[in-house]
Amino acid sequence: MQYIKVDDLAFHYEDEPVLENICFEVNAGDFAMLTGENGAAKSTLLRNILGLLKPTKGSVTLSKKNTEGEKLVVGYIPQQVASFNAGFPSTVLELVNSGRYPRGKWFKKLDKEDKEHVRKSLESVGMWEMRNKKIGELSGGQKQRISIARVFAMDPDLFILDEPTTGMDVNSREEFYKLLQHASEYHDKGILMVTHDHEEIRHYANKHIELIRKEGSPWRCFSMDSCKERSKHPSSFH
Amino acid sequence: MFLYGFMQRAFQASILISLIAPMLGLFLILRRQSLMADTLSHVSLAGVALGLLLGYDPTWMNILVVVIVAGILEYLRKVYRTYSEISIAILMSGGMAVALVLMGLNDSGATVSIQQFLFGSIVTISVQQVWMLLILTLIIIVLYSVFRKPMYTLTFDEETAYTAGLPIQFMSVMFNILTGVTIALIMPIVGALLVSAILILPAAISIRLSKSFNGVIFIGIGVALIGMIMGLVGSYYLGTPPGATITLIYISIFSLLAVFK
Repeated sequence: MQYIKVDDLAFHYEDEPVLENICFEVNAGDFAMLTGENGAAKSTLLRNILGLLKPTKGSVTLSKKNTEGEKLVVGYIPQQVASFNAGFPSTVLELVNSGRYPRGKWFKKLDKEDKEHVRKSLESVGMWEMRNKKIGELSGGQKQRISIARVFAMDPDLFILDEPTTGMDVNSREEFYKLLQHASEYHDKGILMVTHDHEEIRHYANKHIELIRKEGSPWRCFSMDSCKERSKHPSSFH
Repeated sequence: MFLYGFMQRAFQASILISLIAPMLGLFLILRRQSLMADTLSHVSLAGVALGLLLGYDPTWMNILVVVIVAGILEYLRKVYRTYSEISIAILMSGGMAVALVLMGLNDSGATVSIQQFLFGSIVTISVQQVWMLLILTLIIIVLYSVFRKPMYTLTFDEETAYTAGLPIQFMSVMFNILTGVTIALIMPIVGALLVSAILILPAAISIRLSKSFNGVIFIGIGVALIGMIMGLVGSYYLGTPPGATITLIYISIFSLLAVFK
């Protein structure tokens, strides 16, 4: 089932074209990595997909339903989330609990199942012991982990992650990639993740979308599905 | 002191304001809109001046003007997303300018009334105002209880709130309007110049005392009750303006915390 379809998307900042001819899909069960050099407008592309920015041309279709016909739940981790609202008066547990709210709990109390989700999410990133700490007292890496735990607690159908492993050590990163791979393979989750750790993730991801350009041109898309070329190779750009 | 009707009403109003202030104040601080209260209080002066000029009840005219401007504030906040304080500067100076021009146009000797709104006065609190405050307090408590989770998410990060499906624009406008109505109602009591201090300081103090979000609200209510009641008693015995006395007590608590915590 198709969760994201980006069709011939172009995006201009004011009058300057930054993205052009972007076409790809992310389906349920896909673990797609989005790579590109610094400044390749990867975050801008994600923000277009999420509806936070409007494409100048082309379209983005985000599925309304998940594979079970229910409302699609999107879990988003923005870039540099560790610098979030450092003075926000909240415990780790409160913040990760808030991940459950989009699961029909905006106006209901969290039940036993929700609390179990939250506990497992915090344990999966090694932060359960820190649950009663104020989030402002955490280190950058710990803030990153609780942001991940919050998204795991949400149990979204589609993960959209913008460099979520910044500040994490190699072992934690690998654990995280394994969790994502498991979520996509066994629970049909769709994943689109911006990363610079191309080499590390390629063993886990099944799709690679690369933003690439010729000098002086906007960024274009080179998309591979299980290393099979699906759109124009950059060498054929004119 | 409690034998006087105006003091009884002043205490009733203070208790109600103490319940409201930390709830609104916390969200204002976290949304980096602390100065919005100041802006809306200046704008509400223009509402009062317009009411007096046209011969309508200044309280209702005030509420109407502040609600409209609260909506405009949200629009300007979006337009100047990176420099959202620009909207504050535009509307604060604009509100004050309109108030002064309208006062200039009014030659019916209403300056005294404007001064009451500028500096606040406990003797001006009417039974109607206490009832209006009570209704507003009940509305805010109910709204806070129902919308605490969406507001928590919105306040933490607007973008993730949007992706979680929340109507962030609508919620922001509604929050601004509620803040505007609150300011319009408490402004005659504490004075336009000190409204923002009354709203912001209890939450600013309690943020330093609590780890959790709900804790900040509960401690904030306690701090607000202490500040408001001590301020009123002090103002009665010292003959000082209540708004200023309350603000100084809050600042003393804030300073003590800064030194010892």
